[in-house]
Amino acid sequence: MSGVIGAFRELDSAVYAVEALKKERLGEITVYTPTPRHEIEHAVNAPQSPVRRFTLFGGLFGATCGYWIAIWASDYWPLVVGGKPVASWVPYTIFGFEVMVLFGALATVLGLFINSRVPRLTMTVGYDGRFSGGDYGVWVACPPEKYAQAQSLLREHGAVEVRDER
Amino acid sequence: MATMARPSRVKDEPRRPNIASADIQLPAVRDYEQVDREISATLHPTVAWFIGLGVAILFLIIGAAAWMYQIYTGLGVAGYNPPVMWGVYIITFVFWVGIGHAGTLISAILYLFRAGFRTTIYRCAEAMTVFAVMTAGLFPILHLGRPWKFFWLIPYPNWRYIWPQFKSPLVWDVFAILTYLTVSSTFLYIGLIPDIATLRDREKNPVRRRIFGVLSLGWRNSDREWRHFARAYLFLAAFSTPLVLSVHSVVSFDFAMALTPGWHTTIFPPYFVAGAIFSGIGMVFTIIIPLRKWFGLKHYVTINHLDAAAKLCLFTSLVVGCAYMTEWFVAWFSGNEFEKNFFANRIWGQWWWASAILYTCNMVLPLTLFKQSWRRNPTWLFILSFFINLGMWFERFVIVVPSLSHEFEPWQWAGYSPTWVDFAILAGSFGWFSMWFLLFIKQLPVIAISEVKEIVPPKLRQTHDHGIDSAGRHLEFEPSTPGEAD
Repeated sequence: MSGVIGAFRELDSAVYAVEALKKERLGEITVYTPTPRHEIEHAVNAPQSPVRRFTLFGGLFGATCGYWIAIWASDYWPLVVGGKPVASWVPYTIFGFEVMVLFGALATVLGLFINSRVPRLTMTVGYDGRFSGGDYGVWVACPPEKYAQAQSLLREHGAVEVRDER
Repeated sequence: MATMARPSRVKDEPRRPNIASADIQLPAVRDYEQVDREISATLHPTVAWFIGLGVAILFLIIGAAAWMYQIYTGLGVAGYNPPVMWGVYIITFVFWVGIGHAGTLISAILYLFRAGFRTTIYRCAEAMTVFAVMTAGLFPILHLGRPWKFFWLIPYPNWRYIWPQFKSPLVWDVFAILTYLTVSSTFLYIGLIPDIATLRDREKNPVRRRIFGVLSLGWRNSDREWRHFARAYLFLAAFSTPLVLSVHSVVSFDFAMALTPGWHTTIFPPYFVAGAIFSGIGMVFTIIIPLRKWFGLKHYVTINHLDAAAKLCLFTSLVVGCAYMTEWFVAWFSGNEFEKNFFANRIWGQWWWASAILYTCNMVLPLTLFKQSWRRNPTWLFILSFFINLGMWFERFVIVVPSLSHEFEPWQWAGYSPTWVDFAILAGSFGWFSMWFLLFIKQLPVIAISEVKEIVPPKLRQTHDHGIDSAGRHLEFEPSTPGEAD
C-alpha cells in the first residue's frame, strides 16, 4: 500500500482536506482522529456499519440456545412434580434472555473486530502516534504519480506535515 | 460522537442559576494535549497508593485466612443458627451485586440517555461494576459447605447425565451473574481500547509500550474503526441496560420465589433494582470523591457532575423509600396474619435496631440532597456515601435474617449473630475489591480519555459560529462559575 499522509492540527482543516481529496478522486481516504467526530464522519460519508447484523444474529442465536439448553436438559431427565410440565417456557425465558444478551454482546464485539480489522499485529503505513493525541491525520492511498497532487492539496488546506509512505 | 455545533450564549441573556444538566462542559480543560497529559499523570504510583494497596491486601489475607479456617473446621463456624441458614455471606453477596449496578447504569443507561455528566465518572463506575461482581461471585461459593463442588451449578455434560434444575432461582443466578460479569468486563475493555492506544503512543518504556500495544489490539483511531466502534458501543450499552435490570431481579427471585413471610412478594424485583442502583451510586461517591482530590482531577469531575449524580442518588433513595412503605402497606392491607406479625417484628421486635439503621441511612439522610448546597458539598457527599453503604448492607440484613428467624410458627423463631469468621470474610471482600480497584487505577486511565476529548472543543483554524474561538477555547469561559473551580 502506498499513499500520502498529512498531519493537521485543526479539525476544520482536516475536514476541508478530506472534501478536496474526495472531489479530486485521488484514492481511498482514511482519517485518523483522536476522538470520533461527526464532521469527519460526514466528510468521509462511509456506509453504515454492519455491526448491527452481528448483534441481531448473535442475539437470536443466543435466545435459541438459552431456551434449547433448558428444555433439552429438562426433557433428557424428566422429573414430573405435581403434574406440572417438565419443560416450562416461563422460567426458561430467563435463560433465553440471559444467553441472548451474552451471545449478542459477544457477537457485537466479534463484528467490531472483523469490520475494524483488529487485532492488528503491526501498525499500517501512514499511522503516527500523534493521531491518538491531538492531531488529525488524512491518509490517501494513491499511486506514486499522484503523490505531488495529493501533497499539494493537503498543504493547501493547512497540513503541518506531509509525507509519502509505502 | 461530538460535533462542532454548540449553542452559544447570547450576551444579554439573563444569568441563570448554575444547575447541573446533561450538557455539562469542562471549561478548565483547554485542549486534547491537556487531557492526555493530566489523565496519563494519574498512572504514576505514589507512596500513598502503595500504602493503600498494602492495607487492601492485608484485609484480603485476613479474609482468606478466615475462609481456610472455615473450610478446615466446617460451616458451623460461620454463625448459622437453624433455621437462619442464610447469613452474612448471602447478605454480602446481594450487597456486592447491587454495588455493581450503578456502574452499568452510569456507563450504559446514561449513555443511551446522552447524559453528559456521566462522561468523566463512567470509567470509574464501570471498573467498580466488574470488581464488585467479581467479589459477589465469591460469596455463593463461600456459602457452600463444600465449596469445591461449586461447578455443579453449571450445566455441563457429566457421566451421570445429571443437569441442574432449570426451574431453580439458584441456577438463574448462575446464568445472570456470569452473563453480567462477562458483558460488563467486555464493555469495560472495549471502552478502554482507544485509551490504551493513546497510552501506547505516549509510552517511553519499551516493555510497557509493548504491553499497551497488545492490549490496544493495534488500534489506530481511523474513521473506519471509530465508525464500527460507535455502533458496537451503542449495542453493548443497549444490551447492558436490560441486563442490569434483569440481574438484580433474578437475585430478588432467590427470595421472592420462597413462601417465607417478608420474601414472597412481587415488589421485590423493582425494589431490588432501585436499591442496587442507590447503593452503587453511594459507592461511586466513596470512590470518586477521594480520587478527584488525590489525582488533581477536580476540573474533570466537577461539582456539577457530583450535583447531577447526587440528584440521581436522591431519586433512587425516594424510590427505595417508596418501596419500603409499599411493603408495610401490602403487609397491612393483605390481612395476612403472618405477614403483619413479621413486619411488626421487623420494626418493633428483635431486629428494630437493624431496621432503624436501614431507614435512617436510606430514607432520612439522603433527603438532605434536596438542598443544592448539600449536593454540591463533596465532603458531605463522601460522608453520606458511607451511610448509604452501611444502610444498604443493613437493608439486605433486614431482608435475610428477620424473615428466616421469624417464620410461620413460634417454634421456628430463632436468633442470629455473626461470628468473627463472618466479619473477617466481610472485611476480606472489601480488601479483595479495593486491591483490584487500586491496581486498575494505576495501570489504566480512570477517566475515559477519548470520551472526554469529545466534550473538549477541538482546535479550529477559523472561527465558527458555535461559541469556540480559533484556539479551541470556549468564548464564554467563566472561571468564577460556581462549582467549576472549587
